[in-house]
Amino acid sequence: MMKLYDYILSPSCYKVRLMAALTGVKLDLRAVDFHPGLEHRGPELLALNPAGSIPILEDGDLLLTESSAMLVYLAAKAAPGWLAGSDAEEAARVQQWLSFSGRLTASLGGARLHEMLLRPGDIGVLQSQGIAALRELELGLVEQAERGKRFLAADRPTVADIACFPYVALAPDGGVSLDPYPAIRLWSRALRSLKGFIEMPGIHRLHELKPEPQLEAGGA
Amino acid sequence: MPSGTASSWVPVALSSDLPSGTVMPARIPAGPLALWRSQSGHVAASADRCPHRGMSLSHGFVRGETLSCIYHGWSYGQAGNCLRIPAHPGLTPPEAIRTVTHPVAEADGVIWIAVGEPAGTPPALAGLVPLRSLAAFAGIAAIEAAAGTRANAAGLLEAEDIRLLLSSAREGETLIHVLVEADASPAARIAAARAAEGLRRKAEDFQKKGAAR
Ligand SMILES: N[C@H](CCC(=O)N[C@@H](CS)C(=O)NCC(=O)O)C(=O)O
Ligand code: FES
Repeated sequence: MMKLYDYILSPSCYKVRLMAALTGVKLDLRAVDFHPGLEHRGPELLALNPAGSIPILEDGDLLLTESSAMLVYLAAKAAPGWLAGSDAEEAARVQQWLSFSGRLTASLGGARLHEMLLRPGDIGVLQSQGIAALRELELGLVEQAERGKRFLAADRPTVADIACFPYVALAPDGGVSLDPYPAIRLWSRALRSLKGFIEMPGIHRLHELKPEPQLEAGGA
Repeated sequence: MPSGTASSWVPVALSSDLPSGTVMPARIPAGPLALWRSQSGHVAASADRCPHRGMSLSHGFVRGETLSCIYHGWSYGQAGNCLRIPAHPGLTPPEAIRTVTHPVAEADGVIWIAVGEPAGTPPALAGLVPLRSLAAFAGIAAIEAAAGTRANAAGLLEAEDIRLLLSSAREGETLIHVLVEADASPAARIAAARAAEGLRRKAEDFQKKGAAR
């Protein structure tokens, strides 16, 4: 079984858990004490990933330290429909947004670490870079809608959407509002209603898809 | 939108951004709103504050013809009346529990909120259709400066290469709706969507420089 070095509150680790859930792959989750233990910077994990980041995915001889590569690996093994098809534009768009997702990690992810774990950094700069990235994503989705496509690279979700979704959805944790992005709101709804979608703290399945609460006396 | 006018229609969102069964945040000068469309298609606007403990109703969800708060699930009808309190299923909620609501009109693909008691219907868009909305950290004056022309009393700004419907969200922040000809080609629509980014950059630049002076 593939082994994921994982931390429940990490959006980058959640990308991999989400992709695995959507493609029906079972993962062996190895919990990392990211906070407060900084286990990812200890000798055991640095031996696997000298960059000192998680997620890390191990499958036999294959050792991956970049979440985008993990998404591609899971999709290629279990559900190739999540990869680009043979269309050149679509293939390029998948790569475009996979690379772009790194900017979301740096900006919105940096702002979130600053606000939640008091990591050093210029919060104003991180937030304005985050806003710039959200604006780019919003325009990308507006353009796709004009082409009759609901997702970043195609009219079906691909690895590109999963790579971008978590840091976007958690932007408010870094003090960046998601209010001014109607296309992102609809895209997030579409992803959160996918069959097999799983949650992480702060990211929820569409509430209205959950069963109507039972009428019980007492409670809240 | 001229904020000095006592009563007017404020264009807060595009119809296409609010499908049936969804809720979104919106803003009028009086404050934040939860704008929602019921399953059967009715649009309603409520102050974005749950009468129970003050949670934003725009974070809630729509089921059937009601808007529910995400926190404890109190649900409200289009008139703002509380219909259900899940913790007290046998109770008919008292009349006094209600959200503040605002009159809504939907025309030409735009959702308008009445501020004050506007006479008549929202302004017509005369052959133009809305394409997308985007928020700018810039006041209407900075956007007019960036576009090189003024908006009319209804908030409609027509420059040579771009048409906008402007709505003042709060001091120094404007919601821009980009409009195009109803028969614009897909390429022209995408070009207009992109051109709005450049205009926003320019307007935000003007705003910053203006504020620095
Ligand atoms: N290698 C990148 C980076 C992922 C990343 O930034 N992970 C964060 C946790 S969400 C991390 O490990 N940061 C190291 C640290 O903050 O000490 C990826 O897989 O996408
Ligand atoms: S705050 Fe809305 S139901 Fe409690």
